[in-house]
Amino acid sequence: MTSTIFFQQLINAISLGSLYGLVAIGYTMVYGILRLINFAHGDLLMFAAYVAIYMGALTVFPWYLSFPAAILATGILGILLDRAAYRPLRDAPRISLLISAIGASFLMQNLALVIIGGVPKAFPRPEVFDRVITLFDVRIQVLAIYTPIITIILLLGLLFIVYRTKVGKAMRAASKDFETTRLMGINVNAVIAMTFFLGSTLAAAGGLMWAMRFPQVNPFMGVFPGLKAFIAAVVGGIGNIVGAVIGGFILGLGEILIVAFVPQLAQYRDAFAFVILILVLLFRPTGIMGEPITDKS
Amino acid sequence: MPAPFLSPERNMPMFLKIEKLVMQFGGLTAVDSFSLELQPGELVGLIGPNGAGKTTVFNMVTGTYKPSAGKIHWLDQDITGLPVHQITAKGLARTFQNVRLFAEMTVLENVMVSMHITLQASFWKAMLGLPHYRKEERRIRDEALEYLRELGLAHLADEKASSLAYGQQRRLEIARALATKPRLLLLDEPAAGMNPLETKDLAQLVREIRDKYGLTVLLIEHDMKFVMGLCERIKVLDHGITIAEGTPSEIQSNPHVIKAYLGEPKHA
Amino acid sequence: MTRDRVKLVLNILALLLLFSILYFFDRYGSPYHVRILNNMGIFITLAVSYNLVNGYCGVLHLGPNAFIAIGAYTSSLLTMSPLEKQMNFIIEPLMWPLSVLQAPFSLSLICGGVAAALFAFLISFPVFRVRGDYLAIVTLGFGEVVRVLCNASQSVTNGPLGLKGLTPHTNLWWSWGIAVLTLILVVRLVNSSYGRAMKAIRDNEPAAMAMGVNPFRHLLMAFLISAFFCGVGGGLLAHLITTISPTLFTFFLTFNLLIIVVVGGLGSTTGAVLGAILFAWGGEALRVVESPMNLGFMTLPGIPGMRMVLFSVILMLVIIFMRRGIMGHREFSWDWILDKLQRKEAELKKP
Ligand SMILES: Nc1ncnc2c1ncn2[C@@H]1O[C@H](COP(=O)(O)OP(=O)(O)OP(=O)(O)O)[C@@H](O)[C@H]1O
Ligand SMILES: [Mg+2]
Repeated sequence: MTSTIFFQQLINAISLGSLYGLVAIGYTMVYGILRLINFAHGDLLMFAAYVAIYMGALTVFPWYLSFPAAILATGILGILLDRAAYRPLRDAPRISLLISAIGASFLMQNLALVIIGGVPKAFPRPEVFDRVITLFDVRIQVLAIYTPIITIILLLGLLFIVYRTKVGKAMRAASKDFETTRLMGINVNAVIAMTFFLGSTLAAAGGLMWAMRFPQVNPFMGVFPGLKAFIAAVVGGIGNIVGAVIGGFILGLGEILIVAFVPQLAQYRDAFAFVILILVLLFRPTGIMGEPITDKS
Repeated sequence: MPAPFLSPERNMPMFLKIEKLVMQFGGLTAVDSFSLELQPGELVGLIGPNGAGKTTVFNMVTGTYKPSAGKIHWLDQDITGLPVHQITAKGLARTFQNVRLFAEMTVLENVMVSMHITLQASFWKAMLGLPHYRKEERRIRDEALEYLRELGLAHLADEKASSLAYGQQRRLEIARALATKPRLLLLDEPAAGMNPLETKDLAQLVREIRDKYGLTVLLIEHDMKFVMGLCERIKVLDHGITIAEGTPSEIQSNPHVIKAYLGEPKHA
Repeated sequence: MTRDRVKLVLNILALLLLFSILYFFDRYGSPYHVRILNNMGIFITLAVSYNLVNGYCGVLHLGPNAFIAIGAYTSSLLTMSPLEKQMNFIIEPLMWPLSVLQAPFSLSLICGGVAAALFAFLISFPVFRVRGDYLAIVTLGFGEVVRVLCNASQSVTNGPLGLKGLTPHTNLWWSWGIAVLTLILVVRLVNSSYGRAMKAIRDNEPAAMAMGVNPFRHLLMAFLISAFFCGVGGGLLAHLITTISPTLFTFFLTFNLLIIVVVGGLGSTTGAVLGAILFAWGGEALRVVESPMNLGFMTLPGIPGMRMVLFSVILMLVIIFMRRGIMGHREFSWDWILDKLQRKEAELKKP
């Protein structure tokens, strides 16, 4: 492998990894508070992508208006998701919650299939992201460079909210213990809604960048990024925001570099993430940055 | 460690011997250097204010927690860190402070679960409904009923465990522990939530089952009247440290104990 | 007559009734009805064995599709003749012992079950190291890994092309015979001391351990038995539809089983049976919403995905508003009916 190709692959891997990381944050935040794998999280990516497509096609909005609108809409969908599928089950066994999440995920995918149809739609890539630049003799799409930068900016913004604001403090309190948080006079449901909103907007940002990277949007496009991002969250240590991003990078790098070095493994690519997951659970169940897994009772 | 030449224990089989157990959770030392020896047939109390580390001692002895340091010997065997179910099989049974019944199962079934370790027939015999299995099943059912009768719960055998009154649930916990056929019974606050009458009956019951089944009993309890009236020997923990040990009358007059409890008059 | 005698007679009567229904449809039923009945039988086998792990042990296992796939491929590769295999494997030949082995259908089903159970055994260690959501995601992962392997191992599974032209061995006798057998064995197991140990783990694992129950041993037992019957069910399925490929064994299949056991009532074998019957029947009945509808003056186009929308909505409604499903932890049994009757009688006798 020449060094140019390697460099190209490396950039590619970093940008994929940061996408996984961005989506993983939402999983990790929701898991931190509800101890729930929000199965429908991946489908928020699909929702955001479709909203952006239709906003662009049906209105005269340029991308810098339609993208934020899509992100906002997804954030609101996240809140609705919690309200409809998870909130009625706050006191139910966790297995019920997880089943509801799986149902919600299938519902979103198949609703999209019914409403929009299964034929993939092309995602119009705004020109700003479409340019190709040459860096050290390597031609690189700017999107691949923007993606990690945007991820880092969003991550810093989120960390600011979580660690420097009142809402963030309430979120951290709720992830430790509902009862105490409630006793402190905090509306736990509002905190959870906020968590879903933030996680979903990040998923939407991830979804838009995903759709620009693989510009074929279909109702099931969120399944694999979703699963892999969840695995990234586990690898990084579930409940830990920075860990989620690190886990995302590990997964993205691993996936692309393994295939780059050992092309025969290309067809096993989608299994790679699960192998990593199983190894992590076997040897370091708490992930890289995680605290011990405890049952919040 | 060489035993002293004329140690009186030399020829006695070691029953339960706990040596310098330590349990740390992160920075917190919940139990520090806890030692205890039990002789067969004893009835010993473990007391101390809330958070003293009493339940943690039980959790270490029964294998739920792996001690950070120290050793537990049981009948000349080192059982430190063995899995919970193996320790139970060796004859140590417990009840839980916060009742942990099998809520969806009947009272009888709750006790029958404990008899599962005594089952000889393998699972395929159960699946095929072979006579060997059916005989075992009948035996388990009859014996389980026997334990329920002992605890005065036989008339509730077919009720759902979660439908019992609180005091009955505590009794069922004891029946369930007895059904594992233990030699050492660990009771974690058996009288909690009981009224004075029930508590009195309970003391009587503990004595009875000890005599009938030849048990040794180690119990945690906040009800001082109960403990002082029932136990032959008492150990007092505070903040994980053993602060006193002795007969009930010694404990009652021990200045350290009085001081430890003064902060919490409601238990004194 | 004693209670046991009465129950024996009732059981025989029920089997005779089932036999005559099957006989009737076998002779006079339309292919459409026969297909639905076959699906019912197979879904009963799959759901009852899936429920053993999810309902009785209380762990959310999301990988039965892997077991079904393994059973389906194993059994199909065994019933195909060497010549059929040659014609199927055009890209890469089937690897050696498999290319010459051939077995009768019954043996192939058993081999399918054993292969699935073997796989379950291999993955059991990582799976049961964790609980709750982690266990769910790990089993889902193994399901996905198996699908990827089916796609990639050209010389064993024929990759994405799959296996075509299997002999349609599965008929009503096979599908329902296995269903009844599975039902009897699983019911006996869950009502035995082993089943009680499993339910104890479900209700309170720390307490079960403190009562001497070894959780790993019993979870493994349930997992292996469940995998075995899922594998057998996979073999039946393969020889019913006669064409299999990796796309058949995605998470979607697991999702269907999950709907069945949740709607029927997690932890109720009767519920699993009811759920399977409803699903096989409802799934067909709802096909109308996906096919074009002719209203005489105009034709409404079919809406693909509509069935799944309905199914997901049903799943969510049940889990939110009727968490216990149709049956809850209750079971239909002769004892239950006889008790009721006796009570009625006693009431009537009272003055
Ligand atoms: N799993 C655990 N993780 C962290 N800390 C623990 C754990 N279990 C117990 N502790 C801590 O160890 C200390 C001792 O707890 P323990 O339950 O043994 O007290 P106790 O004497 O039984 O009190 P009580 O009378 O209230 O039951 C407490 O400070 C408790 O918070
Ligand atoms: Mg305690």
